[in-house]
Amino acid sequence: MEFRDYYKILGVERSASADQIKTAYRRLARKYHPDVSKEPNAEARFKEMQEAYEVLRDPEKRAAYDQLGSDWKSGQSFHPPPDWGRGFEFSGRPTGGGGGRQYYTGRGAGGAAGEEDFSDFFSSLFGGGSPFAGAAARGGGRDHHARIDITLEEAYRGTTRMLELKRPEVKPDGSVELRSHTVRVTIPAGVSEGQLIRLAGQGEPATGPGNAGDLYLETHILPDKVFALDNRDVTITLPVAPWEAALGASVMVPTLGGPVEMRIPAGAQSGQKLRLRGRGLPGSSPGDQYVQLKVVLPPADSPQAKALYEEMRSKLGFDPRATEVR
Amino acid sequence: MVRVTQVVEARVLGEGDWIAATEICQICRLDLESVLELAQLGIVSSREHAPGEWQVAATALPRLRVAGRLIQDLGVNVSGAALALELLEAQRELERRLRRLERLERLGPNY
Repeated sequence: MEFRDYYKILGVERSASADQIKTAYRRLARKYHPDVSKEPNAEARFKEMQEAYEVLRDPEKRAAYDQLGSDWKSGQSFHPPPDWGRGFEFSGRPTGGGGGRQYYTGRGAGGAAGEEDFSDFFSSLFGGGSPFAGAAARGGGRDHHARIDITLEEAYRGTTRMLELKRPEVKPDGSVELRSHTVRVTIPAGVSEGQLIRLAGQGEPATGPGNAGDLYLETHILPDKVFALDNRDVTITLPVAPWEAALGASVMVPTLGGPVEMRIPAGAQSGQKLRLRGRGLPGSSPGDQYVQLKVVLPPADSPQAKALYEEMRSKLGFDPRATEVR
Repeated sequence: MVRVTQVVEARVLGEGDWIAATEICQICRLDLESVLELAQLGIVSSREHAPGEWQVAATALPRLRVAGRLIQDLGVNVSGAALALELLEAQRELERRLRRLERLERLGPNY
């Protein structure tokens, strides 16, 4: 595993006071917080900062970390010293205490991973089984959260995902074993952006009386090339010929459930929105599909086309700017 | 590493679901006072299911989770989180509109 320079991550000196560390963390958190940041790799940076802050904000962990010495550089190969943790007294506060700072995520086509995202470096020094894990709180497990990316089509039709969750578990002899659970989750049709899916009992295992925590998956619907999503409604832009808009026409329109025939009323204009009721995302009140018309002019690139345009000019007497206020 | 495969029933928390405010606190890393204050500020819908027992609409969970993260991670207070939430949502709406306009623009100059 690689060494992590927590001071460098937060941009503070090794001699920084607790207030300076807190200020540095808050300043960076404002910049990289995944809910507000547009920075590339904001989420990864934020997790790194959370990990660094988790150690440096805690006097016990910071003192122990400082014992490793100042010669280490980020990225250097690292193994905890054999006498790691010896000589310290610990408060027994569980790792991640003080409100639970974990920021879970899980992306990619394979689905979500619901584990705490601190590095192996952190786990080896301060994670379960280390002296810093302390006496675990005896009671019910905490809830875990993860994000799951799905396509708009999956949101419309529903989908099944296999999620691999890695979870440290304490064996009867006290040692910690990493167990990998593959969980098959059926996501029903009609989930919307940001909706939570609860998997009962899939969070942190209970360490005493009480139930295991739950795992909450927060759905994120990936942008679609054709349909723009707005809550449960979808919008598409439909190119139409001038005569289809002027005279009315029946055209085939893509919808999430497959193409449907739609009637364009005579006299339709470019930019006009037509509604296909109930063709958005399903739900107790299903969304609608809006079809925004875009009149596309045929090019005047042949003698015939030019003649037709000339004929329209001479016979229609049309001035598109006649009603414009100047 | 030990591998275990499980089939788990997923429950979508959606429209029509109400969740006890105390449970919301655990899900969203918020204290009860903050949840009720966010409800008073109009950020989420709430109802008094029984005297002293508040419930919050499940559809508000994403907003409350963001509020919880902003309060925990950035150290803002409840009013600050509410303001940030509204500004973030306004920003997303503008970005959505911009994407829609850019999509129209890509289709050609005659629009």
